[in-house]
Amino acid sequence: MHEVDLAAVKPYADHLDDGLVQMSFTLPIPYSLAARRAALELAGAMGFEEPEVVHYEQLTEGYTYFVMYGRCTQTVDFAALQGEGFDIEYMNEDEVERFAREHLGRRVVVVGASTGSDTHSVGIDAMLNLKGYHGHHGLEGYRCFQTYNLGSQVPNSVLVAKAIEVGADAILVSQTVTQQNLHIHNLTELVEMVEAEGMRGQMILACGGPRVTGELAKELGYDAGFSKGTEPHHLATFIVRELAARADSPAPASPAAQSAPA
Amino acid sequence: MLSDLTASTRRLALVGLAKNTGKTEALAALLRELQDAGRRVGVTSVGRDGEERDVIDARIEKPRVRLPAGSLVATTDGLLRASGISYELIEDTGVRTPLGRVLIARVSSSPSDPAGAIEVAGPSAAADVRAVSDAMLAHGAEQVLIDGAIDRRAASSPDVADGLIVATGAVLDREIDEVVLQTRDAVDLVRLPLVDDAFHTAAEDERLTLPPRFALTAEAGQIAQLLDEHPTARWLIVAGALPDRFLRSLLHPVHRRGRELVLVVSDPTKVFLWKRGPEWYRRQGILLRTLRRIELEALTVNPVAPQSHSFDSAQLRALLAEAIPDVPVFDVLDPGYAGAREPARTR
Repeated sequence: MHEVDLAAVKPYADHLDDGLVQMSFTLPIPYSLAARRAALELAGAMGFEEPEVVHYEQLTEGYTYFVMYGRCTQTVDFAALQGEGFDIEYMNEDEVERFAREHLGRRVVVVGASTGSDTHSVGIDAMLNLKGYHGHHGLEGYRCFQTYNLGSQVPNSVLVAKAIEVGADAILVSQTVTQQNLHIHNLTELVEMVEAEGMRGQMILACGGPRVTGELAKELGYDAGFSKGTEPHHLATFIVRELAARADSPAPASPAAQSAPA
Repeated sequence: MLSDLTASTRRLALVGLAKNTGKTEALAALLRELQDAGRRVGVTSVGRDGEERDVIDARIEKPRVRLPAGSLVATTDGLLRASGISYELIEDTGVRTPLGRVLIARVSSSPSDPAGAIEVAGPSAAADVRAVSDAMLAHGAEQVLIDGAIDRRAASSPDVADGLIVATGAVLDREIDEVVLQTRDAVDLVRLPLVDDAFHTAAEDERLTLPPRFALTAEAGQIAQLLDEHPTARWLIVAGALPDRFLRSLLHPVHRRGRELVLVVSDPTKVFLWKRGPEWYRRQGILLRTLRRIELEALTVNPVAPQSHSFDSAQLRALLAEAIPDVPVFDVLDPGYAGAREPARTR
C-alpha cells in the first residue's frame, strides 16, 4: 500500500487517488434521455472526468433527480492546512478550570452584550448564562469566570465603560452581520472605542454571530470570531489560553521589539 | 501622483470611510509608483488585504497586492506560506491574530504571475501596528504603508502614523451630493483644528477634565449637574473616547444655558460621530478641538459602488474638490491619473 501524499490529496473510492466523487442533484427539466445527457454535460462542465449517471428518476412533473459518479482531477494541499490552527483542541469545563487555576490563578472577568440596534441576545445568553447551550454550561457556571451579561441593544460606549469599570479581561459582543454597513460599523466602533480608551492591549475582544469567520474578525479588529456551532467551552478555552499566552509573551507594544532576533 | 505627495511621510496610513471605497486600489497604485521610483517599502494591514473576494459579499472581487523584491511585509505565517513567494524571515513579532501569528518578512523574488500575489494581515491593535511599522523601518524600509480595514480609523492616530490618505466612494450613498457631504464631514473630523492659545492660557476654572468614562455613560441629568457645578468651564477635556451619544446629550444643556462649549480630545480618532459632522455641532454651540493633529495628505475616490450604482469620476472629484478645497483628490483607476499605467479596469 502506498502512502497518502498530503500535499496533493484526492477523493478516495476504490483505491487511493482514483478521485471518484459521488454527487446528487436535481435539474428542473422533464425526466428523459435528453435530461440524462444534460446531467452528463453539466458534470463535464464542473470539471469531472468520465462522468457517469448511475441513477436518475422523475422527482415530480418537470424535475429530474440524478445520482452521478465522476473523477475529480484537482487535488488539495492538506499538509499546508494542518499548521493553520483550524482544529483547536478544546478543553472541557473541568480542564478549563484546571488550566485557569494553574496558569492564571485568578478569576477571569468577561463582559458580553449584543450591541447597537441588535435585539438578538440568544447568542450571548448561550455563551454566558449558566443554562448555556447544547448541554454545556455558559461561562457563568465556571468558577474561574466572573461574567456580566448586559443584554441586547447596548450602546458601544456603555459596554466599553462597563468593561473598564469591572476590569474585564475579555469583551464578548454578538451581532447579526448583514451586508448593511450599519452592523459592520457597530462592530468596528467597539474596537475603536476600546482603542480610544487606551485599553486595547488589556482586553481580549471576541465577536460572535451567524456569519462571523476568522477572516471577518480579523478585518473588524477582533482577536477571535465565533460562529454557528460554537459551544461555551470553545469560547472559554480560547479566553484562558489567550490570557495565558499574553502573560507569557506580551505582544510587542513598544519599538523595543525591534531587537528581537530574526 | 499619490507617491510624490506622500514621499516624506515615513508611516502612511490608508483609511476608508466604508468598505469598498477603493482603499486597496490606492495601496496597489502607491506600491506600483514606489516600485518604479525604486523606493523600498514596508507594508502592513490592520485587517486583511489582497484577498481575492470580499469577506462579506463574495460577489465582489478585490484587487491583489503585489510586492517587489526587497519589500518588507508584516503578515501571518499561514498567508506568507500560501502566497508562494520567496521570502526571508526577519522577525516573529509574537502578535497573534485570528489568522495566525504575525511575522515580518523580506520579499526575495518578485512574482510575475498573479498566483504570486500576497495577502497582507498584520497586527490589528494600534500599539502593535506602530511597533511593527517601526520594526520595518529599522530593517531598512524607507516608507511604511499601513492599510486600514473597513472603516477603522485607529491606525491613523498620530500615535501610529505620520500622515493619512482617506478613501471615499459611491458606496456611501446613491446620491452624489450625499457622498460629498458625508465625505466632507469625515474630513472635517480628521482635520479637527488644534485648540487655540486661549486654551493654554485659560484660568484653571475655565478648563474641566471630565471624570474617567463620564463621556461614555453620562445621561442628560448628570451633564446638567456637572455644567452647573462648573459655571465658568468653557473647555471640557475628554481623556478617552468621545461618543456621539454624549454630544447629543450635551445639546439640550448647552442650548438652555446659552453657553458655548469646546470639547478637547487627544486626537481625532477619539471622536465617534454618527449622522452629524463637526460643523453641525459647531452651529449648536459645541466646538470640537484636538491636542494633536492628523496630517491628511490626499483623498482617493472610487466612483463605483459594487453591485449597485456608479458616478462619473470627474464629476465626483470636482464636487469633492469644491467642498473640500485644500486636499488633492485622486481616482487612481482613472485613465487621466498621472500614475495610471493601463486603461482603467472595469470595476
